[in-house]
Amino acid sequence: MEQRNWKIIKFLVVALIAFLVLFWVRKTIRNEFSRLFRENSLNLAYSVSAIEPELLTERFPEILYYISYFDGIELQNRPILDVVKSLPDYEYGIENVLYEEFYISQKTVKIDEKQYFVIFSPITKDYEVMGIMIQLHAAENVLKLFRTVDIIFLIVFLIFIAVFSISTFSIDPVTAYATIITFAIVLTFILYPLYEAVRMTFMRTGTFTTKVWKTVLTERAYLKSFSNSILLGTLTATLSTVIGFLFAFMVTRTNFKGKKFVSFMVNLPLISPPFSLTLSLILLFGSNGLITKQILNLNWDIYGLDGLIIAQTMGMFPIAYLTMVGVLESIDSTLEEAAMNLGASRWKVFRTVTLPLSAPGLLSSWLLVFTNSIADFANPLMLGGKFNVLSVTAYLEVSGMNRLDRGAALSLLLLLPTMTAFYLQRYITSKKSYVTVSGKPSGRIVEIVSPSLKKTLSIIVYLIVAFLIGLYSTIFMGCFVKNWGIDYTFTLSNIVEALQRGRKALVDTTFLAAVAMPIAGIFSMIIAFLIVRKKFPGKKLLQGLVLLPFSIPGTLLGISYVIAFNKPPIMLVGTAAIIIINFIIRELPVGVEGGVAALKQIDPSIEEAAQNLGAPPQTVFSTIVLPLIRPAFISSMSYTFVRAMTAVSAVVFLISPRWYHVSMQIYNFSENLKFGLASVLSALLIIIVLSVFGILRVVVKRSEYLQKTII
Amino acid sequence: MKQVSLKIVNITKIFKDFKNNEIRAVDNISFEIIPGEFVTLLGPSGCGKTTTLRMIAGFEKPTEGKIFINDINVVEIPPWKRDIAMVFQSYGLFPHMSVGENIAYGLKMRKIQKEESQKKVKEILRIVGLEGFEDRPPSSLSGGQQQRIALARALVIEPSVLLFDEPLSNLDALLREQMRIEIKRIQKEVGITAIYVTHDRTEALTLSDKIVLMKDGKIEQIGNPEDVYEKPVNKFVGEFMGKIFFFPIQVLDILEKETLVRLKDRVYKIPSLPTDKADNYVLGCRTEALKISSDGPIEGKIKTIVYLGESSEYYIDTEYGEIMIRVLSPFDKNLSEGKSVKIDLVPEIAKIIPD
Ligand SMILES: Nc1ncnc2c1ncn2[C@@H]1O[C@H](COP(=O)(O)OP(=O)(O)OP(=O)(O)O)[C@@H](O)[C@H]1O
Ligand SMILES: [Mg+2]
Repeated sequence: MEQRNWKIIKFLVVALIAFLVLFWVRKTIRNEFSRLFRENSLNLAYSVSAIEPELLTERFPEILYYISYFDGIELQNRPILDVVKSLPDYEYGIENVLYEEFYISQKTVKIDEKQYFVIFSPITKDYEVMGIMIQLHAAENVLKLFRTVDIIFLIVFLIFIAVFSISTFSIDPVTAYATIITFAIVLTFILYPLYEAVRMTFMRTGTFTTKVWKTVLTERAYLKSFSNSILLGTLTATLSTVIGFLFAFMVTRTNFKGKKFVSFMVNLPLISPPFSLTLSLILLFGSNGLITKQILNLNWDIYGLDGLIIAQTMGMFPIAYLTMVGVLESIDSTLEEAAMNLGASRWKVFRTVTLPLSAPGLLSSWLLVFTNSIADFANPLMLGGKFNVLSVTAYLEVSGMNRLDRGAALSLLLLLPTMTAFYLQRYITSKKSYVTVSGKPSGRIVEIVSPSLKKTLSIIVYLIVAFLIGLYSTIFMGCFVKNWGIDYTFTLSNIVEALQRGRKALVDTTFLAAVAMPIAGIFSMIIAFLIVRKKFPGKKLLQGLVLLPFSIPGTLLGISYVIAFNKPPIMLVGTAAIIIINFIIRELPVGVEGGVAALKQIDPSIEEAAQNLGAPPQTVFSTIVLPLIRPAFISSMSYTFVRAMTAVSAVVFLISPRWYHVSMQIYNFSENLKFGLASVLSALLIIIVLSVFGILRVVVKRSEYLQKTII
Repeated sequence: MKQVSLKIVNITKIFKDFKNNEIRAVDNISFEIIPGEFVTLLGPSGCGKTTTLRMIAGFEKPTEGKIFINDINVVEIPPWKRDIAMVFQSYGLFPHMSVGENIAYGLKMRKIQKEESQKKVKEILRIVGLEGFEDRPPSSLSGGQQQRIALARALVIEPSVLLFDEPLSNLDALLREQMRIEIKRIQKEVGITAIYVTHDRTEALTLSDKIVLMKDGKIEQIGNPEDVYEKPVNKFVGEFMGKIFFFPIQVLDILEKETLVRLKDRVYKIPSLPTDKADNYVLGCRTEALKISSDGPIEGKIKTIVYLGESSEYYIDTEYGEIMIRVLSPFDKNLSEGKSVKIDLVPEIAKIIPD
């Protein structure tokens, strides 16, 4: 105990000294800047006082003044004398003027919520003082600077206190540092930007206002976008869930041909670049599309709600499929068999057994697709046409109109449905006690559909898969066509040109994704390790925060990054860092969840044994934990890489001429009707993404035997 | 081998459950271990043995109290700096390392040169009887072999104190007996101070120099195996250490070295004093302190006789419940099931226990 008291005393003394030193430094800096600003102000005052009063307002509209000539004439552009008179050095200022000296008050005055420097200046003519002029120069800049200085010093002090208290009191400083740094990162890059976005929607030039929200919530165009988003989400979610369920049902409950191939194909849309399906839909069904124009010569094109539903459904029904496969596999097929043995008809078995048991899964798929659909940005951007959805409207507000506040408000509006749907989905899956899980998945399948129905259903499945294949082949075809829609002769020039013009974007994107990949991997494994194995206050909070990006639409994250990191204390807009950080933060939840799941499989006494043998936590992490959860680690890395390569919605706000993204290049090409070039880049991205996943498969397979021996 | 003493002083550990209720897993316990001693923490499930051990290892921080190793309070020292090795119930072998790498792990942490480390690994594998197993993955070993690797891994770093948490509970009965002998042999061979957690009294009796018997987070009795077995301080200890029967008695007089007690109409001179002050006492007798005798004060009827060869067990219904008496051959032919008998005590090995 005595030792502890000593530590506390030592801590307090050092903290006090640190505080005093910092305080002194801050004071010195403030004084120095203050002096500088006053000097500038004085210099300005010299020239102001030399001007004829009539010209003052024209030449220096910012300056407030009061002039009193000794012959009794008074001039002013604002009533400021009363405020100035309350200064303690007012008399002194007047005295100075009488001696033909300029004087700047030690204090500032506040008029209409703004701070001003006060300068007493003589008005002279032929070396004689004719009157007094009081000038007020805006002091906002210096105050802003002081605020920044204060924030920086506060941060420095807090960091110092944190580091020093940990090194003094903690018996496990490394873990404590890791926890604090994690908290700092998560707060800075998840919560702070969101806070800034919300703040911006309520603030205008420093005062609170609800004007932005009033506009956003009343203007018809905005409300229309909102209802369009919901409409699109509802339709896509319903259609995707139906198709996803059909596929899942066919794969788990029947023996139709080509099962393996179908389940492989269905995975493709999940990892392919966002513009790829959209692009091929435009190539086939656009206003100059191969099918709509060249073959059928219709007056119809795909832009608008119908096209969006097709594009989103093809891209998102795999989400529903994967969820439903999991659900259907966990429902013991012998239940259906039993019902059938009891004499129920096939349709009745489906209606009374299969469907009720998969209901929670269906709802959860629906919600997942719904969240994805309304957060989607890429498809509506390219295919929306006149059909505006919220994400695109928000983007246009920001990039077209330069109205960040409205963009922020609109994308915050988007958060409402995504968050509700997401957390509802989580809640449902956490309570899936409903489903009977049998220990042994029975290899035998009881077919509860009649042969003829099975035939019909499999034809539908084949048709959808064929359509999917058609879409992908179109992209590859597009690479070799001279001028899609006009001239279909074979050429290789697209490839050459695309590689030339798209090289920078490709190289940039690959570089950014490659940097984000290992950082995201390690960081999410560290967070998983902290969450599963370490005790610290605020663990629940950290878990919640880390999960948050799951439900934040990319548009919102992008806009809030622009708002938060385009000003002190953190200026990142335009750098590679902001894009990399964004990649890392967006994929964090997936990585952390994978890591948590993997760690929970591992007996904690393995790590305790290592500690016990003398390994501090960082060594335990690198020599024991990381090798044991390698599959999760690698998955998290490759997932981040792929998602970074194919990102659109957030990164569109963060790119700059210096750091460009290949998705935007694809978009630009196709907007300019350079479909060949867009196709080449899309195809290239698909190839890159597929090879990364292929490599990952091989690597993880090899370490899979490991996981089996752990449990 | 280092010879280290260990002192636990007023240790308490309070856990909070999910409803934030307090659980006193360990409640103000103290004991001492002298260098080279083999101490067992014994007690029923949930009594706080593992928690005590984990506090010594540093995985849990005591809510209150101090732990001294060679007179240094280690409570504020993290596990990786404590120089205490532990053998885990589930072994905790590193599945991604070979047996050799597993054992060398602690040596690597201590920055020991490769050649020397390999020599030590070989030597310790010899001691645990698994020479030549260096390159095998742990998953390819049997339970008993894995157990010995875990032991070797703990021993090779020559820790100050060796901790065992029910190391044999995952093994079958036969292997358990072999390993018990093995552990005792190795501990004596290296002369290390050891603490062993178990809820199996046979393990405790055969292995320990000293037994610390716990219940509900508190210590009930500390002593060598004979003391704890033969002189339980209360009914719980008596029952936990083996079959025992209690008879209500009246304490007539406590003399200098013996106690006069009355059971029914009979007065016995018990050659020990009551361990604690209490209002009521009982006489605790293990089966070897009971005999069938024609002038015994307790009456009963033979219910069952179990023939075991060199001895027989007689189960007798009495007014104090069923009593078992073990009789060595040759047997009295007159004693058969259904017969009434009288039972007497052997006062020399009976024990006065607070009720
Ligand atoms: N991390 C924990 N959080 C909450 N309660 C705990 C924790 N660890 C142990 N306990 C509680 O403390 C008490 C003592 O547990 P401990 O594991 O020490 O018992 P034990 O004597 O080792 O039992 P066993 O023989 O079953 O292993 C139990 O009631 C247990 O539920
Ligand atoms: Mg235990």
